Amino acid sequence: MQRRVPLEETAILCALCLVLLGGLAILGWGVPVAYVLHGWLIALAAGWGLMWMLNRLGETPAKVPLAYNDRVIRFGVVAALIWAIIGFAVGDILAWQLAFPALNGDMAWTNFGRLRPVHTSGVIFGFGGNALIATSFYVVQRTSRARLASETLPWLVFWGYNLFLVLAASGYPLGITQSKEYAEPEWYADLLLLVVWVGYLALYLKTLARRAEPHIYVANWYYLAFIVVIAMLHTVNNLSVPVSIAYPKSYSLFAGTQDAMTQWWYGHNAVGFLLTAGFLGMLYYFLPKAVNRPVYSYRMSIVGFWGITFLYLWAGSHHLHYTALPDWVQYLGMTMSIILLVPSWASVFNGILTINGAWDKVRTDPAVRFMMVAVLFYGLATFEGSFMAIRPVNSLSHYTDWTVGHVHAGALGWVAFITFGAMYKMVPWVWKREGVYSLKLEAWHFWLALSGTLIYVGAMWNSGITQSLMWQTYDADGAFLYSFLDSVVEMHPYYAARAVGGLLYLIGGCIGAYNIWMTVSGPKKAQTRQAGPIPRQPAE
Amino acid sequence: MAVKEKDPVSGTELTGHEWDGIKEMDTPVPWASRWALWISIAVSVLFWLLYPSFPLVTGYAKGLLGYSTRAEVAAAVDQAEAERAQAFAPFQSADIAALAADPALEARYGQAIGKLYADNCAACHTAELTGQTGFPDLTDGHWLWSGSPEEIEYSIRFGINAAHDDTRSAQMLAFGADGMLDKAQVKEAVEFVLSLSGQAHDADLAEAGRMVFEDNCAACHGDDGRGGLENGAPDLGDGQWIYGGSRDDVYRSVYYGRMGVMPAWEGRLSDAQIRMLTLYVLWNGNDAAD
Repeated sequence: MQRRVPLEETAILCALCLVLLGGLAILGWGVPVAYVLHGWLIALAAGWGLMWMLNRLGETPAKVPLAYNDRVIRFGVVAALIWAIIGFAVGDILAWQLAFPALNGDMAWTNFGRLRPVHTSGVIFGFGGNALIATSFYVVQRTSRARLASETLPWLVFWGYNLFLVLAASGYPLGITQSKEYAEPEWYADLLLLVVWVGYLALYLKTLARRAEPHIYVANWYYLAFIVVIAMLHTVNNLSVPVSIAYPKSYSLFAGTQDAMTQWWYGHNAVGFLLTAGFLGMLYYFLPKAVNRPVYSYRMSIVGFWGITFLYLWAGSHHLHYTALPDWVQYLGMTMSIILLVPSWASVFNGILTINGAWDKVRTDPAVRFMMVAVLFYGLATFEGSFMAIRPVNSLSHYTDWTVGHVHAGALGWVAFITFGAMYKMVPWVWKREGVYSLKLEAWHFWLALSGTLIYVGAMWNSGITQSLMWQTYDADGAFLYSFLDSVVEMHPYYAARAVGGLLYLIGGCIGAYNIWMTVSGPKKAQTRQAGPIPRQPAE
Repeated sequence: MAVKEKDPVSGTELTGHEWDGIKEMDTPVPWASRWALWISIAVSVLFWLLYPSFPLVTGYAKGLLGYSTRAEVAAAVDQAEAERAQAFAPFQSADIAALAADPALEARYGQAIGKLYADNCAACHTAELTGQTGFPDLTDGHWLWSGSPEEIEYSIRFGINAAHDDTRSAQMLAFGADGMLDKAQVKEAVEFVLSLSGQAHDADLAEAGRMVFEDNCAACHGDDGRGGLENGAPDLGDGQWIYGGSRDDVYRSVYYGRMGVMPAWEGRLSDAQIRMLTLYVLWNGNDAAD
């Protein structure tokens, strides 16, 4: 039986063909082994996707069930947990290496410079990104009362995104990097992610467009801001010219100060829109659901959303205080960072006050405890961020471990806590289980993660301020009182403490993954819960 | 307008929207938030007026204070340099020999110069000045280019094999890799070199190696292998080794050659600082063996 191939499928087929050709070109012309290997990976993945699509073209299209599409969400949860364990483990290995440098084994591919991006990409994009994709698919369907608007795109997004992650994480140890922080993957991986991200945006917009609710819930606004801004940042910061199809190397379109400013416009807003806006979307759905309370203030959620969206994009220059960057750009970034504290804290209060009337759940439900502490760490990290953006404060904090502590207060305390809180709620829902396998293990995970975070952040505050003061202390003659070497020696106990904190966090993460694994392999719920009726979709 | 549903716990009106069971209260933005917003904006406007802030068509708004980071840093650096010139006054004198003979300087300046050494030299020569593989020990009294104050100052200022016109140049040729000697000859020469420092060696090979040495190595290292301060060739008999003294290490040095680099510090450090480091090396060295 013949059927008309719709526009969407044509577009996906074309995209897959292009990716396949790209992969073939790389594996054919590529010279470095790792690069050729990446060519094979890309070609195999695209070829496999293409065969899957072509096979389905000949068949009568299966009837799309009148239910939410949760299958891809389950894949996303599992991928997020796998990347979490990889990312945490590599991070802790690096922490031990910093305390005991000989632990890098004196090998090129395990040295700090090559392993660090495996850690950062693993946790930010692997764990955080997969968690955002999975929860955004969950939230957009429930709050729109609509099934995901495509049967193919969700899989393209999931597999394409994870292919990008594998290319990134396998390339770093082998030396493939464009050396831009948090944007290390080279041009071919960037192009692949661009294709995936356009698919993600199209899918999200189409799903919102077919919603059965009159309004778009605020969580979706945050998720959408995350998707749109990441698309913009990713494209602009990765503009570069590859030297040849035969090599992974490329040269950035920007140079010098412009390059630094573009990079930190990217870097800061990856924090602002991936690690903040996306996870606020998660907060605005899973927290009210978990405590069964209305959102405290609709108005504050609006002030928070537009404040954050407007202000973050100005603030990147505070990463370049006291550099060759012109003063006016520095002061503009600094002042916008100060104002940014207000909408950030509006979100904090909105989150905390939403728990009003259900504070007993903080005691009885570890998932709620995860989310509440996440909001507190979000408040701490945003206050600290605005504070550190003030130039004189920055002259103390910049280039020290204080920055490292600040990022980890946000990443460990906010991003990962809200994610684990949401996961403990969402996993039983999408797998249709009675509840989480063990509340006791969940509580263990919480306390290990909290202790780990506090040890980590406390150690880095001490280390950062100690470093900074040692670097800036002069004797009566105007000569340095301490050498840089003295400050390195002084860091050792803090670095050891940080590694222990990270280990606690890793153990907590492993317990969490085990708990979720046991939940999934446990018995199904006797009677499936009906989340709400889905209205029949108009024929497209 | 219809009366809106209220939250039973707080009594606040709800907005009437609902998504998957999630409702929203219509709580007004608290006064603290609104005040904080206006205050932070007012502070920012104040900064914009006082400091450089917004881009204009040509140039940028300079601000009422006329502030410039660059000017501030330049002034601070000038001031610090003037203060240091005064505090470290003795080192303004170019007579390094006289400085080296002044016994009071070490007690007065040793501590501060130690930090200067640690920040600039310790990465290669180590914090204890004892060197490591590839980098000479500065305390053992064995010098490649003489241990006189003037010569040490010259080495620091212009470096060795460095990117400077006046740098010292020295190279151990790759006798094996470049085909000047075959492997058997290299092995013989190595045995001879081992014999110079009294290490265990094969006497027959060493005897054959003496010829190889005289033809190829003696020009720099001298017939007796005691090196020469004119060309930076190390003494092979003193038991001190830069690249290791085992049979394998010496073989590698002869076969593949060596060419260590000491950076030229002129321009990176001030003249006074170069003199300070010269004295620091002298103070910590052991000249007894020279």
